[in-house]
Amino acid sequence: MVEKTKTVFPCDNHFQLRTSDLKKALELALSRGGDFADIFLEYRISRSILMEEDIIKETSESLTRGLGIRVIKKDRTGYAYTNDLSEEKIKIAAEAAASIASSTRAEISQLQLRQIKPKKEVAVVKSLATSSELQKKLELVQKAYHSALKFDPAIKKVQVAYGESTQQVWIVNSEGLSIKDTRPMVKLVVQAIAEKNGRRESGFYGGGGRVGLEFFSSQLTPEEIGREAAKEAYLLLEAVEPPAGEYPVILAPGHSGVLVHEAVGHLLEADFIRKKTSIFWNKLEKQVGSEQITIYDDPTIPGFRGSYNVDDEGTLPEKTLLIEKGKVKGFLQDRLSARLMKKPVNGHGRRQDFTNWPIPRMSNTYIDRGEYSAEEIIRSVRKGFYVSRLSGGQVEDSGKFTFSVTLGFMIEDGQITRPVKQATLIGTNLDILQKVEMVGSDLEFGLQTGTCSKEGQDVPVSDGCPTMKISRMTIGGVR
Amino acid sequence: MKSETSNNNLRQLAERLVQYGKKQGADEIEVTLYDGVEFNVDVRLGRIENLVEAGSKFCAIRVFKDKRAASASSSDLSISTLQTLIKNAIRRALLTQPDEYAGLPAPALFKVDYNSLKLYDPEVSRMKPQEKIKLALTTEKIALQDKRITNSFGASFLTNELRTVLANSNGFTGEYLQTYCSLSLGLQAGQGDNLVEDYWFSSKRHLKDLASPEEVARKAVERTVRHLNPRKIKTQNVPVIFEPTMTSWLLAFLFSCVSGMAVYQKTTFLADRLGEKIGNDLISVVDDGLLPARLGSRPFDSEGVPTQRTVVIEKGVLKNYLCNTYAARKLNLVSTGNGDGNSVVPNNFYLEPGTLKPEEIIKSTKKGLWLTKTIGHGLNPVTGDISRGAFGLWIEDGEIAHPVSEITIAGNLGELLKNVEMVGSDLEFESPICGPTIKVAEMTVAGI
Repeated sequence: MVEKTKTVFPCDNHFQLRTSDLKKALELALSRGGDFADIFLEYRISRSILMEEDIIKETSESLTRGLGIRVIKKDRTGYAYTNDLSEEKIKIAAEAAASIASSTRAEISQLQLRQIKPKKEVAVVKSLATSSELQKKLELVQKAYHSALKFDPAIKKVQVAYGESTQQVWIVNSEGLSIKDTRPMVKLVVQAIAEKNGRRESGFYGGGGRVGLEFFSSQLTPEEIGREAAKEAYLLLEAVEPPAGEYPVILAPGHSGVLVHEAVGHLLEADFIRKKTSIFWNKLEKQVGSEQITIYDDPTIPGFRGSYNVDDEGTLPEKTLLIEKGKVKGFLQDRLSARLMKKPVNGHGRRQDFTNWPIPRMSNTYIDRGEYSAEEIIRSVRKGFYVSRLSGGQVEDSGKFTFSVTLGFMIEDGQITRPVKQATLIGTNLDILQKVEMVGSDLEFGLQTGTCSKEGQDVPVSDGCPTMKISRMTIGGVR
Repeated sequence: MKSETSNNNLRQLAERLVQYGKKQGADEIEVTLYDGVEFNVDVRLGRIENLVEAGSKFCAIRVFKDKRAASASSSDLSISTLQTLIKNAIRRALLTQPDEYAGLPAPALFKVDYNSLKLYDPEVSRMKPQEKIKLALTTEKIALQDKRITNSFGASFLTNELRTVLANSNGFTGEYLQTYCSLSLGLQAGQGDNLVEDYWFSSKRHLKDLASPEEVARKAVERTVRHLNPRKIKTQNVPVIFEPTMTSWLLAFLFSCVSGMAVYQKTTFLADRLGEKIGNDLISVVDDGLLPARLGSRPFDSEGVPTQRTVVIEKGVLKNYLCNTYAARKLNLVSTGNGDGNSVVPNNFYLEPGTLKPEEIIKSTKKGLWLTKTIGHGLNPVTGDISRGAFGLWIEDGEIAHPVSEITIAGNLGELLKNVEMVGSDLEFESPICGPTIKVAEMTVAGI
């Protein structure tokens, strides 16, 4: 169990493997007649810092190293992984994955692996977080902490979490592809708790992405993150209970992007399409929503959390048009679904880590800008609900979804008025898409802190949208 | 297959790392090693879709130096890497601030008898891949014979075998081996754009305790088709019946509110309320790590503290918070053996069952919602507020009238605990957090 290698990170080849070792494993993986095989190697260093109760409580460092071997036979996937990169363990994994195909022997043509380089660099990094001094990061955390705490005497408790990682991947497949990528990520988030007259509320804010530490001086300062979290908690102290029933709803730009992620994005993931479990499966080129709506998923936006140079099965990603003026135009494809559906890949095969095989996922999903100004949209509502911050949502394949609103406001006579606390919005996606009445010109993206879960796999994502008006939506509250 | 007796290699590695940490200057150090084997098969529409077989190891480390804490983990178990991680952690600890509550637990006075917990079933390890595949295929096949089912998300069978070895510088060394198996099935029914979905599963430590393919299929079908042709309802305040999976969901929220971590951080509405009556007499909640063969049982927690039976709520009175060593020190309490790294997890956290059959509870309801599913994120431990998207069956005059959709439920956990009117007898231990059917006097159900 103790390996002979002398590797102590950091180093150039964390895997201590040669291309010829991987070639051999791929050949073994196909030895029972699989149509396709690939190997995903991962080396990731992650660190985190936690501050609460005025002290730096904890720092941690985590190392992930391992590989996963996949074999595809028609629509079937065999998968095996190992954290032990010895020749013997790789051989066992390759044989386990191979068993999805059942021929006793197969013709394998000589495999040639050729190295390909990503075309684009999405990471915007001057000062790589995982190579920087711990002291610098501790300062960021402390600045955010104190900024939140001094916002108002009502702020009683603050928690700051900082996280950074650099993931190195190497993907090889039986079509001869060999590609490597390095993916840095950083995140700074603050939770603040405000307390007044026996009432307690919490606020949240944060930022980061595939950026370097300089992001926190040039784009979003720790002070601003702390302040915004405190401000939300403070506002909620005055918030009233949400109304219950059907109302016109206006979604604030940026933070409401999670709506497009849940209500539309998931159901355009190609695995749900080919399995016909998504209500969109037979709606390509069909009008499903208001002409106001155009939706993209773009993994190539520089610095964004959901971006990557190459997806987790070696495909170079593309900005993908999903809905154009209310009409379904495309799906989020991974290799397996694209092949079974006879469609081109578009670089949306992602996985959490080496213990998982890739599945179709979103990256940075957004509703494109429309023509109205935010003021026009708000003015058009006599009595309604303004969603300022959505904290999350969930969707079923049948299209039913919910969103949690952490902070909302009432709209009365075309004006934003009282803050409203925790409410839930519920709807069916086809219905909501048709009820989008106005789309604003003010496209923004939400906090670069989001993570999307699907089938137990978490991947970083982001989403965005302009101000939008939905004619009616059910709001859950208390009466 | 592995032997059930101790794994000397892992033990030695853990102890060697503890010694290394001490030598490098750590005041205290804790090393945990995990060695797992996973098998998973997903079948869909009669064919194998995915087959996973893997073994992997993982190491987690905590060090303390001058009351300063740092942690590390790795899936690379080479000794040089692990030693570097330990050295780094000691160096990092010195850059943080002292915390008088940090540190390992004091050595325990007793040990839980591993054998009494029945965590390991050799049958699970012995099972052949072909048998596992067949179980999944059979389950789906039975369900698909029902004409109301129009599509399948597939059936899965998975098994897990995990050895945990823990050593620390306070002289503790312990290990245990556990198995887990689970059979599940997801289905879709309906036509066109009017689709409904649901699933059912059985998960156990022992193969013989697992529900049969017939039972899993039957329940998955029943649960799916009952949502067909839902109607919208008007916003109103009505009694709400939680079926066991929904009670479990509510209990998971309750757990996050009685977690010692949330209590000392004051991020729960139940902070500073020990001894208070927070629910009515029907509410008794227990966390028990010692129940034989249950999913949440274990001989010791992640810090080596022996697990125990802890009464959390007794007839509505809040008796205990669930703590790891850190939270316990902060609150001047004793660890309840719920440690998990730096956080707190439930062992078997359940609501004591009552005497009523679920049918009797439904019959007692003149008008109300039988809650079957919630989606979304709307739970706020700071206030106890609940706001979720919901699915359910509408009850009229003690009988199921029709399914309802596009509703939300809203309420407050504190209020709910006081408003529970009936508790069912149908407690099943299918997950570490579980409860029977309950009826709550009133919640707001929002519709049109």
